[in-house]
Amino acid sequence: MATTEFSWDKSTNQTALRTEAQDRVKLSDDVLISNIRWFVAFRWVLIGALIIFEILVLLASSDTFVKLGISEQQNWPIAIIGILILANIYYIIALDYLPSSSYNSPTINLWIQIIVDLICLSIVVHYIGSTSTPISFFYVLHIALACIFFSARESLYVTILVCVMDTVVIIVDNFLFAQVSLSALIDKHLSVENSSQANALLWMVFLDVLFLVVWYVVSRLSLIVRTHEYHLADAYKQIKRAQIEKDQYALLITHQLKSPLDAIRSKINLIKEGYLGDTSTEVTQALEQMDTRAKNMSGLILDLLRLERLKTNCCDTDQFQSINVNSIIKKCIDKLLPVVNSREITLNVAVSDFYYQCIPEQLEILFENIISNSVTYSHQGASIEVASHIAFDHADITVTDHGIGIESKDLPNIFNEYFYSPRAAMHNKSTSGIGLSIVKIAAENNKLKIKVDSEPGVGTTFTIIFSNVTSSAA
Amino acid sequence: MVLRIAHVDDDSDIRESIQRILEKNGYEVISYLTMQDFIDSLTSNANRPDLAILDVMVESMDSGLTTFANIHKNYPEIQAIFLTSLGDMIRPYFENQSHEWVCIMEKPVEPISLLATINERLKNHGGQAA
Repeated sequence: MATTEFSWDKSTNQTALRTEAQDRVKLSDDVLISNIRWFVAFRWVLIGALIIFEILVLLASSDTFVKLGISEQQNWPIAIIGILILANIYYIIALDYLPSSSYNSPTINLWIQIIVDLICLSIVVHYIGSTSTPISFFYVLHIALACIFFSARESLYVTILVCVMDTVVIIVDNFLFAQVSLSALIDKHLSVENSSQANALLWMVFLDVLFLVVWYVVSRLSLIVRTHEYHLADAYKQIKRAQIEKDQYALLITHQLKSPLDAIRSKINLIKEGYLGDTSTEVTQALEQMDTRAKNMSGLILDLLRLERLKTNCCDTDQFQSINVNSIIKKCIDKLLPVVNSREITLNVAVSDFYYQCIPEQLEILFENIISNSVTYSHQGASIEVASHIAFDHADITVTDHGIGIESKDLPNIFNEYFYSPRAAMHNKSTSGIGLSIVKIAAENNKLKIKVDSEPGVGTTFTIIFSNVTSSAA
Repeated sequence: MVLRIAHVDDDSDIRESIQRILEKNGYEVISYLTMQDFIDSLTSNANRPDLAILDVMVESMDSGLTTFANIHKNYPEIQAIFLTSLGDMIRPYFENQSHEWVCIMEKPVEPISLLATINERLKNHGGQAA
């Protein structure tokens, strides 16, 4: 005896908060790479600004700058510009031209950028004034960026590095010079020196505490944002999975609904083709009628599945590819040839090659429906023209029939899912009635416009308008 | 030599229709109710068919597809045709597969087109058409 245990516990599928190693959660390499490029561009702007500043310093008289607080022309800005230019070139080379390895990853690239930038900033802070100007606050920018792009742990390392650098600069600026002053043994000078050292010490502690607070607040915020990001990614995965399940369910239902009809029609075919002996004309006629009704129903069932699929696949950008529209039209015509021939319709096709970014399967469904519509509503022995017009990056395909046409009052409604035209249904008894709804969704999904011109009794022209077409596969 | 065709379908009406059409046209037909029965039959050289007509959804959603993958890998000389109610709608499940060797026919069974497809399949791929 076989036993199977069933379990419907969904808890394993639920979105789990990523509590594991939250302090190590960071952005993906793709995001890091795009930000490395942004940093490099930002640095070029900074370098440009520094160069302009240096040129101004060279051009202007020294007096003007003394008034502004800039004492004299110094070499350190040129050194900083040089270092930043070389470093920026290296970052781009490492990112685009050097093979990625454990020593050359986006994370390491960012780390090098941060360290070099911090060293440069420390030099600037040293020369401009670590305690006399607010320049040290620029360190906060690095901490905030590290919190955004690195894990909480890594950004803490950056913060500690910043604290160390700032401390070193303040000590060098205020205490190393103080030793020299001590040897002078001038009381008055000593007391001023002591007071400025105390201020520097206070400033240093204040800045270090500020850096740590900024790190805590920003890393906390970025952790919250990342957790939401993971929730979104998980939700997206679940939606994808649900879509696949839904498609499979739709397939199963379609199969179950259509199978009995197929079995019935197979038997009808056996009788019609004489496999079960001779039948009278009346019986053959009745069988034809039965087959037509069953065929319509089969068509409707498949069209419903098609419609469902088109609706679900609307936003799946993975499926888009550059495809030769002419080859799609040829494929559709090949499929429709048996019907075209059976109605003795002449198809005049004059379509040039052009490429369009779309979901090929859906474009095929669109053309198949439009051309088969034209065939359906044409009179026996008529002609249908399929032509293309290409101008720059625009193209359109026209499908013109000389059939029953559409009344102007019906024209605005033909793409509606539940629209029913008794006149059309009278001409074509085998329609599922949702062919043009399928066309509408396929057009929407593939960013196409459709224009319909029609005159009852004269014919209809469907114009499918493509924008951004190319002459070769993109 | 009489060409042998294996047909797998869980619908007895379809099995009977196919058998009637093909036998009347000179083929030897062996029908199977499940894919497993068919795969088991392949172990013996004597039973191997020239062509297999497979339904897609027998027992499970994709048993036809997995059987197809199995025979394509282990018995490449056996031609295969899918005969399914879903027709081209199952095409997305053949992503990256060559259209040349994936042949899908939509039910119901239409004697003339079924015979033409079988003939073409066997002729184009080294078999001998009846």
